[in-house]
Amino acid sequence: MLENIDNILQDLFRLFRLLGIGALTSLKIFFLTLIFSMPLGLAVAFGRMSKNKLINSIVRFFILVMRGTPLILQIMFIYYAPSFMLPEGMKINIDRFVAAIIAFSLNYSAYEAAAVLGFTKVQTFFKIIVPQVIKRILPSISNEVITLVKDTALVTTLGISELYRAAKNEAARVFSTVPLFVAGLFYLFMNSIVTKIFDKIEKKLSYYR
Amino acid sequence: MDNIPMLEVRGLCKNFETNEVLSGVSFNIEKGEVVAVIGPSGSGKSTMLRCINLLERIDGGSISIAGDMMVHTNNNKKVVYAQKSQLRKIRLRLGMVFQSFNLFPHFSVTQNITEAQIHVAKKDPRNAAETANELLKKVGLSDKADAYPYQLSGGQCQRVAIARALAMNPDILFFDEPTSALDPELTAEVLKVIQDLAAEHMTMVVVTHEMGFARDVADRVIFMDKGLIVEEGKPANIFSNPQNGRTKAFLKSIF
Repeated sequence: MLENIDNILQDLFRLFRLLGIGALTSLKIFFLTLIFSMPLGLAVAFGRMSKNKLINSIVRFFILVMRGTPLILQIMFIYYAPSFMLPEGMKINIDRFVAAIIAFSLNYSAYEAAAVLGFTKVQTFFKIIVPQVIKRILPSISNEVITLVKDTALVTTLGISELYRAAKNEAARVFSTVPLFVAGLFYLFMNSIVTKIFDKIEKKLSYYR
Repeated sequence: MDNIPMLEVRGLCKNFETNEVLSGVSFNIEKGEVVAVIGPSGSGKSTMLRCINLLERIDGGSISIAGDMMVHTNNNKKVVYAQKSQLRKIRLRLGMVFQSFNLFPHFSVTQNITEAQIHVAKKDPRNAAETANELLKKVGLSDKADAYPYQLSGGQCQRVAIARALAMNPDILFFDEPTSALDPELTAEVLKVIQDLAAEHMTMVVVTHEMGFARDVADRVIFMDKGLIVEEGKPANIFSNPQNGRTKAFLKSIF
C-alpha cells in the first residue's frame, strides 16, 4: 500500500518535472514571440498606413497571407524556408492595431485639436493617438496573447519539445491520458496569469474613456 | 491709419472635388475685434475657419496674420504656403475651439491645458500648471482640475477647451460653432466665458447660430451664404436693417 503511494508520488513528480521543462520551452517561445511581434506589428501598421503604394500593397499582401493561412502551415513554411526568426513571431494579430490607428487618424477630433495646438505629427501620434489606440485594442490584444499561449503547442510539429510534446511523449510511454490532462492544467494556469495581468492593465487604464 | 490687421483674408477659394465651398472670401479682422460669422448651414463658415487654421489647404487667395503671409496665390495662380517653420510659428498665434470640444480623453483637465504648453511652447511644467490654474479659475472650473473629460458636462468640456486654447496665448481665437452641441443652459455658460473674453478685448472670430450672442457681443457681424460674404456690418444694422435679400430671408427664418 505504502509502496503504491510512493510509486504514484514518484510518477507524479516525474510527470511534473517533464512537463515543467516543456513548459519552460513554451514560455520561451511565448516571450520571444511577444517581443518580436510588437515592433513588427507596429512596422506593419505604419506600412499599412503608408501613402507609398508599393509599400502599402506589399504590406496588405503580407497581412492577407498571415491572416488567410493556417498558423501551422506558416510555421512549416518558415521552418523549411530560411528560418530567420521564430515562426510564431508574426502571430500577434496586427490587424486590429492597424484598424484602430487608421480609425483614429481618420477620426479628426483628437488629431485636429493637436494640430491646432501646434503638436508635430510624431508628438500627436505618440501622445494623443497611441494611448487611445492601446485602450481600445487592449481587449483584443488580451485575446491574442491568450491564443498565443495555446498556439505555442503548434511548434511541436517542428520537433521542439515544448509542453505539449512532453505531455504527448509521456502519455505514450505510460499509456495514459493523464499527462495530457495535466498539460491542459499547465496551459490553464499560464493563461490565468495572462488574464490577471490584462485585467490589471485594463483597470489601470479605466480612468479615461 | 497704418494699422496692420490681425487677420487679412483675400479672395479665399476652396473646393472639395468639384464642389466650390468658398468662392472668393475677403475680410479683415482688427486687433481686439470680436466678429460673429453667421449664415445658413453649408455656407462655408466652418470651412473658412478650417482654412485659416491650416486644417484644409486652400485653392486660391491669400491669408496673412498680423502682416505675416501664411499663404498666397502667385501670378501663375499657384497656391504657395509659407515654409513649414514659418507656418508652425504662425499656427502658434492662432487658437481654435471646436464644436465637439475635441478634448484629449486620456488626459485630465489640467493635462489637457498643460500638454501643449510643455511640449509645443516648451514652457516649464510648473509655469504651465500655474497658467492652467489661472485659466480654470477664469472659466469657473477650478474644482475640476483633476477630472477627466468624460466626467464633465458638454458646457464644462467646452470651457476647458477654451482654457486649453487660451493657454497657448494666441493672438486670435477662432470658435467653430462652440455651442451647437449644447443645450440652452450649457450654451449660456459657454457664451458667458466668450463674453468675458470680449470684455478683455481678446481678438475673436465666432462662427455661431446664436443670434442673440452675435447681436449683443460682436463688434461686427459677417453674413455668409453659398461661399461668399453677402453682407457685413455692425450687429445693430445687420439685425434691424439688413440690406441684402438673402440676409433678410435668413434672419426672417430664424426670428
